[in-house]
Amino acid sequence: MLSSFKGRLVATAFGAALAAAALAQPAQAAEKVVVCALTFVSSSPLFIAADKGYYAEEGLEAEFKFFRAAQPVAVGIASGDCDFGVTAFTGGFFNLAGKGALKVIGAQSREEPGFDFVGFLASNQAYEAGLKSVEDLPGHSFGMTQVGSSFHYNIGLMADKFGWPDDAVALKPLQSVPNMIGAIKSGQVDSIALPAHIVAGLTGSGSAKLIGWVHDYTPWQLGGLFTSAKNVSERRPVVEAFVRAYQHAARDYHEAFNKLENGKRVFGSEAEALVPIIEKYTKAKPDAIYAGSPFIDPDGRLKVDQIYQQVAWMKKKGLVDESVDPKSFLDLSFISGHYGVPAN
Amino acid sequence: MDLIVEGVSHRYGEVQALDDINLRVADGETLALIGPSGCGKSTLLSIMGGILAPSEGRVAAEGAAPDGCLNPFTYIFQDFALLPWRTVAGNVGLPLEHHRFDGDGRARRIAEALSLTGLGEFADAYPKQLSGGMRQRVGIARAIAVRPALLLLDEPLSALDAQTRELLMEDLIRIWARERTTSVYVTHNLNEAVRLADRVAVLSRRPGRIKEIVSVPVPLDERTERRHADLIETIREQLWRLIVDEAKDADRELESVA
Amino acid sequence: MSIGDSGKETSVRFRGGGFAPRPKRWASWLAFAVIISAWQIASMSGALPALFLPSPYEIALALQAIAADGTLARHLGASLGRIAWGWSLGTLAGLAVGISMGIWSLARSVGIPIVSALFPIPKIALLPLLILWFGIGEPSKVATILLGVFFPTVISAYSAVDNVPRNLIRMGQSFDMPYAQIVRKIVLPGAMPGILAGFRISSSIALILLVAAEMIGAEFGIGAFILSAGNLMQTDQLLAGVVLLSMLGLLISALLARLERRVLKWR
Repeated sequence: MLSSFKGRLVATAFGAALAAAALAQPAQAAEKVVVCALTFVSSSPLFIAADKGYYAEEGLEAEFKFFRAAQPVAVGIASGDCDFGVTAFTGGFFNLAGKGALKVIGAQSREEPGFDFVGFLASNQAYEAGLKSVEDLPGHSFGMTQVGSSFHYNIGLMADKFGWPDDAVALKPLQSVPNMIGAIKSGQVDSIALPAHIVAGLTGSGSAKLIGWVHDYTPWQLGGLFTSAKNVSERRPVVEAFVRAYQHAARDYHEAFNKLENGKRVFGSEAEALVPIIEKYTKAKPDAIYAGSPFIDPDGRLKVDQIYQQVAWMKKKGLVDESVDPKSFLDLSFISGHYGVPAN
Repeated sequence: MDLIVEGVSHRYGEVQALDDINLRVADGETLALIGPSGCGKSTLLSIMGGILAPSEGRVAAEGAAPDGCLNPFTYIFQDFALLPWRTVAGNVGLPLEHHRFDGDGRARRIAEALSLTGLGEFADAYPKQLSGGMRQRVGIARAIAVRPALLLLDEPLSALDAQTRELLMEDLIRIWARERTTSVYVTHNLNEAVRLADRVAVLSRRPGRIKEIVSVPVPLDERTERRHADLIETIREQLWRLIVDEAKDADRELESVA
Repeated sequence: MSIGDSGKETSVRFRGGGFAPRPKRWASWLAFAVIISAWQIASMSGALPALFLPSPYEIALALQAIAADGTLARHLGASLGRIAWGWSLGTLAGLAVGISMGIWSLARSVGIPIVSALFPIPKIALLPLLILWFGIGEPSKVATILLGVFFPTVISAYSAVDNVPRNLIRMGQSFDMPYAQIVRKIVLPGAMPGILAGFRISSSIALILLVAAEMIGAEFGIGAFILSAGNLMQTDQLLAGVVLLSMLGLLISALLARLERRVLKWR
């Protein structure tokens, strides 16, 4: 009895000494930041930075919070639960950003020629009946997650490019990707748009037919890296440090996954080295990671004009409030060299 | 029509409610059934009207039913049993609706029953608008509308206050004087029994047996006359003596059960 | 005051009045007005940021905007159609089953365990199945509401029939009324108050399930409108949709009150 009590006392004293030593460490304590994201391959730079210690190098201690949909990430930033987030741009995102809570500071992935990212699928029945290409979509139904989602904008981009009238494609909000997959398999919708790794699975099993990739028709800045307006104004050095770590990881990713040789993608040993990291966070199989790895700008530079274009389209459709001005939620001062920055 | 009860016994599980009841109710006669609580008088009434099958014995009718009789054994209920969503006329007409009538036969019967019970001007009223006495008049009108051979009254006045009870007794006497319907009248109220019945059957407590049958040898319409007061009072006293001890027992038993 | 001061007369203080709450119409309107003005004032003073809760004025503007461009009519039309079909079919089926369970002991023995087992299942959880069975078109939306309405209607109809006073049924039997007439003239009218009370519950459930029903594949409808406003973070439109739903609820409850007054005027 007594000896065990003594032992515990010793242990406690030892623990206290350790804690004191930790406190006495002269180096400035790591700044805690909460990083919110979806476990998608397009969020890879966040994971690479964590795994390779780029946050620590910048004096940051990153804690991840994972979400199942893009919207909560943006809400988390607005409510102060998250410091940094990476998701696709949606109507909800722009509306929230337009209320002044969010600042977009860098790029996530984008549609770039040669890099299959989001593809259009036709149901087998619709394909048999003549829906063989994106140009055939008018007169068919299109399943998507939600109104104002990136999938909604995908079809909007096509409608703008080909000049389809407003109600040419019947939109069917289905709330989730599994619902979309179920609906295309059973033929309850004629078409959907999905990321490349899911497209590969569905076409491989013969459940649906690929009728075109978004990048074949139009470029698009799909998503961004964003933080709260409060962080930008009150913790600027922390934001700068985070951006540096993100860029570092984005360059690693770009080197590994975004090489083209004769218009074909090639993956070298760098990719092999990164796949286990991405696999750890996304729980995706290596094949799916290769198939679904999008184009990510090595420096996190945004195609700014495309964001303006998306906001304008969403305003036209009534999905984004008239008062929303991209100028007010874009902060281009953290990364240099953004593309297509408007003159004024 | 005569009603004959032969060797009727009834058991509820272990409890013997009625034991070997033999009775004959003559045509046009009113028989009152009295007795302490739990003597089985309501059970006997249900058996007489054919809505309860006795464990032993049988009930028979002898003689023809009156002309136009639609429901030979007809009850008048203590709680009136009126449909609150039907008007007075609708309630009286209810038991006529599944019978065929020529021309306006049904409407005439309803009007006749209403006028006999003094309800003519209330034909379109709903039960909730009526006093207790008027509601039971609707119950009576409904019963006589079917021209019953036997009227079975189950404590018809016990839900009413004393004055109303007096008024309704007068009504019943007037109606019987006209219709001459054979009636069995269950009550625990001795005044009602001596006012309305030609004979009073006194039942004993569990098991219910017929203890005595007392005749009231005064015509119904003369019973309130002063010259019969002593005789009526004597009969009332006699009935009370017949049930008083058992009524006390019944009272105590209820308390011990509670 | 004390009793017994010799020769002094005092009036007896009134202590009655009972404990009978009576609705005061002006009070409910006043409460609405006070809450809404307090909300508006808080929004205007900046105590309530528009990001978290839009002001009543903004909500009114959002309502006015969809009313002006005609989408309100399309949303209302789509939703009312679904509610009308789902509620009517669910109510008809529920009444048939519930009344049967009230009347026939076989139906009761079969029905009670089945209903008890199925009633508590959240109908929203069945949505994927309903979509497999009925597709993403109108039938699955109507079926969602239908299922939600069916079970409470069964239970209210069953207990309403069960609660019809036994003495009335005995009365009908004592007059040799045929079985069908006893059901039609005594049991059904007697169950009416309980059935109508059930309508209030089932109509509210239909409104609640509208949002769930319009989750999948609905372009128009108040539920779809609320969902898409939520997805787009258009909180003013979201609350405008909620206001529409509650106004629809008030309207339906007023209609039912009228129906009750008509059908149950004997009460």
